[in-house]
Parts: sequence; C-alpha cells; structure tokens
Amino acid sequence: MPPMAPPETATALPPPQPSEGPDFVQLLTPEGERVTHAQYSLDITDEEIRDLYRDLVLVRRIDSEATALQRQGELGLWANLLGQEAAQVGAGRALTDRDFAFPTYREHGVAYCKGVDPVTLMGLFRGTSQGGWDPQANGFGLYTIVIGSQTLHATGYAMGLQRDGGDGAAMAFFGDGASSQGDVNEAFVWASVFNAPVVFFCQNNQWAISEPLERQTRIPLYQRAQGFGFPGVRVDGNDVLAVLAVARAALARAREGSGPTLVEAYTYRMGAHTTSDDPTRYRVAADLEIWKLKDPIERVKAYLSRTGAGDAAFFASVEAAADEVAAHLRAGTLALADPDPISIFDHVYAGGSTLLDEEREQMSAYLASFADARH
Amino acid sequence: MATITLGKAINEGLRKAMEDDPKVVIMGEDVGRLGGVFRVTDALQKDFGEDRVIDTPLAESGIIGTAIGLAIRGFRPVCEIQFDGFVFPAFDQIVSQVAHMHYRSAGNVKVPITIRIPYGGGIGAVEHHSESPESYFTHTPGLKVVTCSNPADAYSMIRQSIACDDPVIFFEPKRRYWDKAEVDLTAELSPLWKARVAREGSLATVITYGPSVRTCLEAAAAAETEGQDIEVIDLRALSPIDWDTVFASVRKTGHVVVVAEAPVFGSLAGEIAARISERCFYSLEAPVLRVGGYSTPYPTSRVEEDYLPDLDRILDAVDRSLAF
Amino acid sequence: MPSFRDFALPDLGEGLTEGEILAWFVKPGDEVTLNQPIVEVETAKAAVEIPSPHAGVVSALHCAVGDTVDVGTPIITFDVDPGGAAAPAVDLTTSEASIRGGDLVPSEPGITGSPAPKAGSEEKIQILVGSGVKASKLTRRARVSAEPKPPAESNGEPARRPARVSAAGVGAHAERLADVHALAKPPVRKLARDLGVDLQVIGGTGPDGTVTRSDVQAAAAGGAAGVRRVAPAPDFDPATREQRVPIKGVRKLTAEAMVASAFTAPHVTDFITVDVTPMMELVTRLREHPDFAGVKVSPLLLVARALILAVEHFPMVNSAWDDDAQEIVVKGYVNLGIAAATPRGLIVPNIKDAARLSLPELAREMQTLTEVARAGHTAPADMARGTITITNVGVFGVDSGTPILNPGETAILCLGVVRDTPWVHEGQIAIRKVTQLALSFDHRIVDGQLGSEFLADLAGMLADPWRLVNWRSQ
Repeated sequence: MPPMAPPETATALPPPQPSEGPDFVQLLTPEGERVTHAQYSLDITDEEIRDLYRDLVLVRRIDSEATALQRQGELGLWANLLGQEAAQVGAGRALTDRDFAFPTYREHGVAYCKGVDPVTLMGLFRGTSQGGWDPQANGFGLYTIVIGSQTLHATGYAMGLQRDGGDGAAMAFFGDGASSQGDVNEAFVWASVFNAPVVFFCQNNQWAISEPLERQTRIPLYQRAQGFGFPGVRVDGNDVLAVLAVARAALARAREGSGPTLVEAYTYRMGAHTTSDDPTRYRVAADLEIWKLKDPIERVKAYLSRTGAGDAAFFASVEAAADEVAAHLRAGTLALADPDPISIFDHVYAGGSTLLDEEREQMSAYLASFADARH
Repeated sequence: MATITLGKAINEGLRKAMEDDPKVVIMGEDVGRLGGVFRVTDALQKDFGEDRVIDTPLAESGIIGTAIGLAIRGFRPVCEIQFDGFVFPAFDQIVSQVAHMHYRSAGNVKVPITIRIPYGGGIGAVEHHSESPESYFTHTPGLKVVTCSNPADAYSMIRQSIACDDPVIFFEPKRRYWDKAEVDLTAELSPLWKARVAREGSLATVITYGPSVRTCLEAAAAAETEGQDIEVIDLRALSPIDWDTVFASVRKTGHVVVVAEAPVFGSLAGEIAARISERCFYSLEAPVLRVGGYSTPYPTSRVEEDYLPDLDRILDAVDRSLAF
Repeated sequence: MPSFRDFALPDLGEGLTEGEILAWFVKPGDEVTLNQPIVEVETAKAAVEIPSPHAGVVSALHCAVGDTVDVGTPIITFDVDPGGAAAPAVDLTTSEASIRGGDLVPSEPGITGSPAPKAGSEEKIQILVGSGVKASKLTRRARVSAEPKPPAESNGEPARRPARVSAAGVGAHAERLADVHALAKPPVRKLARDLGVDLQVIGGTGPDGTVTRSDVQAAAAGGAAGVRRVAPAPDFDPATREQRVPIKGVRKLTAEAMVASAFTAPHVTDFITVDVTPMMELVTRLREHPDFAGVKVSPLLLVARALILAVEHFPMVNSAWDDDAQEIVVKGYVNLGIAAATPRGLIVPNIKDAARLSLPELAREMQTLTEVARAGHTAPADMARGTITITNVGVFGVDSGTPILNPGETAILCLGVVRDTPWVHEGQIAIRKVTQLALSFDHRIVDGQLGSEFLADLAGMLADPWRLVNWRSQ
C-alpha cells in the first residue's frame, strides 16, 4: 500500500517502513521457511507448531462463522480479525495463567487462547448483553469499545501486581489508530515512570476504519516507545512463531521487574473494520493481493507440509475441529435469547439503589398493565 | 472529641480507611510528598508509604484509568482530582468506564473507586478552580455521588464512600475546608444515603448541599430574627437522593427553594424541583424555586460573590415563594 | 418429511430497510451447504454476499435480480429435510431480523438518519453503525386498567386532607399548623383566592376529596360551602311576565311528603340558644387527631353525636306513629337522617344504626352521605326507614327555623349558624360562640315537657362537651 508523500515543507523523515531490516523480527517467512533472528529465538517442537496451526485455523473459522452469522441476521455486528490470526495466537499463547489480557473488541483469537468459549463473546455483538463475562475467570478483560481506554486499565492492573506481589504481567491490546489516543500515551507515561509490568501489544493492521497508518504517525510505531523510555520492537504480525517469541520475551521482562515493552505486530486487516464497513471505498484491491501472499496460516501449512510435520490426516483433523467449533458457535449464538426487559435494571450497582428499585417497580407495573403482557 | 477543620476531618477519615483496609490506596497529583494542595492528604505518605499514597503523573485520565486497573486487581483506590475544573480530561474514563464496568460485566467486576473532587467557588481563584460539575455525574447512571457540608459529615462520609463497593464521586466543598467543628472520631457513622435536617422549621423548606449549606443556615438564622421559620435540608447524597426526608419537609411547609452554586439551567436542582412537583403536587403552595449560578461560565473572582447564591438571594427566593 | 424454512432479508447491520437483489448464486432444486453464498444484495452502495443459513435444497426463490426487497421479507425458502414425504409446513425463520423493520412505514420521513418512506423513494439511507433504526410504533398496545392513575401520591402523600406533621418526628414538640390543608390544584387555588373563597371550608367533590373548580365556583355563587343553586334563573314570558314551572320529580315528591307530614302530625317547635364555645374548641382538636385524618369534622358531627345520646335518654323521641296498628313504634336504633341540598332538590338520606358507630365512623358516614347526595347518587334505600333527622340551616348563615318532620318520624332538629355573640360568661360579658337549636316534634307522641327536656339535654351536651365523653357506640 503506497504511503502518502509527506508535505514538501516538512523535515524529510522517512515514511513508516514496511517489513525490512533488523528491526523487523521474523522467524518464519511467508513461504514457510524457518529463519533466525539475532535477538529473538524460539525453542519449539513440531507438535507445538501443529498446535499453533490448529489454533490459527480455528480462530479464522470462528471469525468467518461469526461473519456469516451476522450476514444471516443473527448478530447485529461483527469485528473481523481476518489476517490477524498469527498476531493474536502468538500473543495469546505467550500469556500464562498468571497474566491478564486487556483486549479491544477484536481479540477473539486471544480470547480463544485464554480459554474463553467463543459463544461468550457473541452476546455483545448480538445485542443480548454488553459483554457480561467474568474477567477473572480466564484473565481476559471485557471488550472495551472506547478506543485505547483499556491500556490505562492494563497499566493500573500492572501497578496492582507490583503492590501485591503478583508474579504475572498485564498485556494491553490496541491498534494503530489507538496509538494516537491520549489515554494510550498516558498509559505509556505511567507504565514507564512506575516501571509497571505491562506489555503494550499493538496490532498495527494499517487501518483505523478508513484512516491509513500515515494519519496516525510519522515514524514507525514501535519507535514511539523510545520517547517514553522503554523498549519497542516491531515483529512480523503474520508470523506466529516470531510473535510468540517476542511476546514471551516481553512478558518475561515485565514479570522480572524490567518494566514495559511496546510490541508492534505488523499485520494487515484483510477484512473490513466491522461488518458495517465497506473497505472498497477507501482501499485498493491490489493491496489485498500483496498481503494475501503473506497469509499467516498458509506459511505454517507450507512449513508443516514441506517438513512432513503435518500430514493429510492431520490437516483433515484440523478442518474437522474447525467445523466443530463453527457448529458450536452457531448453535450457541442462535440460542442466545433476548433479555427480559426488566433485566435492564440488573447490575447497575453492586450495592443497589433506592431510585432504581423505584424505577424497576414502575416499569414492572407498566409492563403488567398491558392486555397482552407476558405474566 | 476534637475541634478540627473539614479538610482535617477528611484527612482523619482517609487515615482510618487506610488503617482498616490494606487494599486502600490513595492516588493523585501532589497527594504524597506535598500532602495535597489543600493538605487533605497531609502526612499520609509518610505513614503509609509511596506504594499506597501515590504521587501520579499529571494525567487525570491516567489517574482514573489506572485506578480501574487497580480495582480489577482487587485494590480500593481513592483518587484525587486536584480541582473541579480539571476533572474533564478524566470524564471519559469516569463516565464510559467507571460507571459502566459493573453493568458491562453483568456484576462480575466491582469498581470500588472513590473519586475525591474539591469543588465550588468563593475562594477568589482563577478560571477552572471554582466549578460545580456535580450534575454531569448525578446524570450518569452507574455512579454514586455524595457531598459533605461540615467536618463531622466529612469524616463519616469519606470513610463510608471508600467502603462502598460502588464508585462514589466525593465532592468536597473547598470553600469550607477551613470551617471548624467538633468531630467525634469514635462515633457511629451516620447513614451515607440519608439527607439531614440541618435546621427545623415550618414556614419554608430550603434544600441544599455542600458549600451552600452554611450559607442557607446563615440565611435561616437571619430570617428567624424577622419571624420567619425556615427548614434547611442538607441532601448529603446527590445520587441517589433521600427523597423521603425531602418529601416529608415539603409536605410540612408547602414552600420549597433549592439552593446550589451550579448553573441552574440543566442542573440537579431542576431534577429536584421536577420530582417534588410530581410527588408533592397537592402540598405545594407555590412552585419550587431554584437559586443557583447564572448561565454563564463562572465569573472572575472580583465579582464571584454576585454570582454565587448568598443570604439575600436565598431569602429573596423564600419571599417570592411565600408571595404566591 | 420435507421441512421448509423461509429466510428473510436480514438487517445487514447498516440500518437497511430494503436491499436490491444483484445476483442469485443458487436456483430452485440446488443443494446448498451451510454458509454457501446464495445471493448478493446491494447495501450502502456496496455488494454484500449472504451465506446460506441452512443446509438443504433450495425450494423457491421469492424475488428476482433487480427487485428491491424490504428487510424482513422472505427471499428464499429451503427444504432442510429433503428426501422426506409430502405435507409441507411453511415455517418462518425465528431470526429477530426477519420481523424487525420492513412492513411498517416509519413515521418521520423527513428526519436525517431515519429510514426513508417505503413507496417511491430513490434515496437509500446509509447508516453505517449499529443494527439500524427500528420501525416506529404506530398503534397503542391495549391496556388492562382504564386510566393511568397519577403517580405515587401513595408514598406518604395523603389522599385526603392531611394535618401537617413535623418532619422531625411524630409526637415531637414540633410546630403544627392548626388548620387542615385542602387538596386543590394550583389553578383552583388561584380561582379560590380571586373569588374570595376559603378552600378550607369547601367540601371537595373531586377525586380523593380534592376541591374542584366547580366546587369553588359553586361556593362563590351560593355564598356557602358546597351548596349548588338548585333553580335556574327565572325565564319570564314577556307577555304575561310569568314563568310556569311544571310540578314533577323530586319537587313533587317532596311536596307531597311535606303536606302529609305537616297536616298529619301536629307540629310544635321548641328553641334554645346555647354557648357552644367549648364544643367548637373540641371540633378543632378533633380535626388534628390522627383518627380523624382525611375526614371532615364540623359542628354538625358533634350535634349528631349529642342527638344520639339524647335519644338514649329520651327514647320516645325516636319513634313513629303507626296509625293502622294504632301503635307508637319506639325504635331501639337510630337511623339518623341528614337533610341535604342536592342539584335536584332537598333529600334526606339517613345513616343506618348511627348509634352503633364510633365518632370517627360517624364522621366518615356523614361525609360520604353528603358527597353521594351532592353527586346525585343517593340510593332510595338510603332515604328509607329514617328514625330522626337533623337539618342544618347554619351553612346558609341562618339562625334557626321551624322544620317540618320527615314523614314517619317524630322529631327533627334544626341547627343554626354558630356566631360570635356577646354573652354572659362566668358573670362577665364575653364574646362567645353561640348558636340556636330548634326541635320540631309530633305533639301526638311528644308533649311539651318531653320535647323541652330532650332539647335542653342535647344543648347541655354541646355547652359542656365533657358530657359527650362516651364517644364509643353502645
């Protein structure tokens, strides 16, 4: 995708660099070949790579099934992650039970890795709940729709870990667009001055709805961290091995008390911002073709095929598992019932409210006053 | 029993809360080493340490946002916003996150955050240091809002606000920080969500809160010399409001004036007036009158006393009510 | 057995109310798998492929390429169980989207952002966030109850006239206002003030005893509380300067009763003037008593009570002359009649067995009786079988009168106005509250001595209300 030319009168800073150079961490090429990196390595078995492959395929399938459900009127909206599977699985599998993830609203892959049933995510998109899950259950926070807010929550959580001797870390997920938000920059300030155990995991998918990366930054995003005083690293976001390696390293740094890291997972949003978006209005098909060649799943499949680590039976079993998770998602979503109107009043406060009690009674009486009221 | 200022009463309440619960942390700009620009957090960092009394970066949104994270981790943060006019950078975190978190999580996430905000005018300050933004927060479901008017309530209410499992915006009347009164630090705490009949009367009801309570009491004392017997209600809790106490007074006197510094248009005083009209219609001898700020930004300090509701304006409203 | 499922055009997340079919990828008879693309629909100037919600066989397509279809309209039917036998059962999808939007014409076509009207519109509204605006309601849902009641006056707001009590606590030495405060809406209060009418003494005929506008107007016109003018203004014939009013209805019946009574029973009337200052104080105290909250307490109540007690002492006064049986029937119960002026004339409804009622109960019964009578709803049974009657001319400001017996009764008491009057009180001239009582009685049954003793006994209880101490019924 061609970057915008900087205005002539501006200082000649280089535009954001695509995938090149030592600052770009890659351990598996788009063609499926393992390569090494000076700073980051990954000790991993073939079985583990097969597991990662399965994760990638299932995450993609969850995403596409949800998209279909939206097109069929079962969800009001869906935020697609197509193309970002490796970034999310790599980060998700780096997180341990001690670590807490603070997602945006697109981290369905991370949710999967953290053990969250994908049906749990659907209420929000179907309109039957605002989220509703317990973050403590899987160490996976609620989806936050206000852009960037969760980075402060993650930082505060990390400050809590410092104070109560917890040995985990927090991971804040956000996108390239969010990096412009005040809250994200405040989070960088806080994390750095308090040396908080938080990893800032930015999925730079090149787009914030229709705004390209150039509208958010004049320098590569990972370099921002230097200004705040902590390390930043750009990783090939479509390379699950590299993401896993970098995320693990960053989490380890945090856990051992060395403070925050900014991980920029350089990837591409192959789908629309959400099912309400029409990307054909602002980007060209040719860019998609370039990125298709960098597909995160294809390269792992190529590796497994070429090395024989994955055979036909294996690939078939993964497809079957994908069908199963899709069917589970479909059945679970269709079963999500509309909430009872009176439930509007539930959970506003932990300690209740006299005003709400009164309003609930009034609404109850009002609803019961209709001849066709359900009793 | 000790005679202490309102600010000191809050300090004592904070100290007690910190002693009682190791999960309570105080955070804000200049709260630690300096002890707060109004000294309300004086000496707390010395006694409880930097990890529990946190001097924060100059970033209000950051204060509230990280407090949420701390709450998720199990802490009970007490945030200070240095001045009323500076709460707005944090407004989104308060309104979109703090207020929504319990609801969004179907009750799974508790947000026991207390946000302390000095508010109100009459201290001769520059812009943004004399605001009354309470209506923005009483208008936000998911938040609870309280305000003290005197040292005894300050001590009792800050402790209860911190202990409350819901987010509480705790408005401190900065112009009354130096008012002194006797406070029994061992007394039983009066219920947080109850209004107080600050002065009994039968002729008219004046409903008020925070910095205006003292002004209304002074007005009632002046009125008494003219044979007018005015009842003053200190709301204490602004959301939810103790309507029982309010309605009982209204039904007794039939004449109501609501007094607050905030600009009247679109204010909490309007909600109070509307609800009284609806629920006490047949008891009203006159419409509910409101005395408050004009529809201007808070004026410059040399004329602020003409903007703020004072004794004469309050009694003028009582007279107008009685004339109906 | 074939199982048919319709699939309606869903709301595709863009606030659609309709879509244009761009291309079908399947035709009837085709086998389809779940999520297989079946159709392309134009939305917001981009094409959206819809994946099949079912696996099965395409049974029918319901629209063609180029058709514009409303959201919620079935566009395709699947047989999800092909290879079964006949007997199709058409089954609409349960999707929420299929019943949202669509047929109803939205109510505000001109507003930016709302769905455009259905017919003949070229404009496609593009709302790119949210699942779109839902169609407005155009009819009301049927209610169970008649009219909505005004909200929660019930949370402590008294329905009737309350005495004001201190907010600080019951029974405290708090200020209490001596007067009872009338329930009236602000415009009615203003009217009362403008007309110079005292709201406190008007009987309210509105819901829950509120004073209405017409109550105020009637009081102003009639010069006394709650009494309406019975007769319209005279309408004289210009030729004769006379008006002829037909004799009928209540007036006819009343006239006949009056004649029967007046010319059957020899009437004698005794008078007594009494200082009722203590009794008026008692009235005021009773008004403040919680047992009388919400109920009208007036001198008439205590007069009635005194009458009942006097009847106990002199039962012959509470009797009837049964000419046919040649017997005087002395009644052991008091059905107390209260003469009432109504829109249609004078009637005398009675409170059955009034001697058995406690004072608060008696007050309530009197209030109800008056309200019902004023509304013109007194039942015939309530006007029958009275045993003794009170008529109150005091409300008109009149001192006394010579009332005519209610037919079938032996005595009738007339209560006059209570007036501040110079009086000898404890050897000194003082301004006291003084009234006149008049008792008419049937001289066939009651002689002068009995009548006078009865009247004096009754008056004595009003002069010295401690003699009314027995408030409870017998």
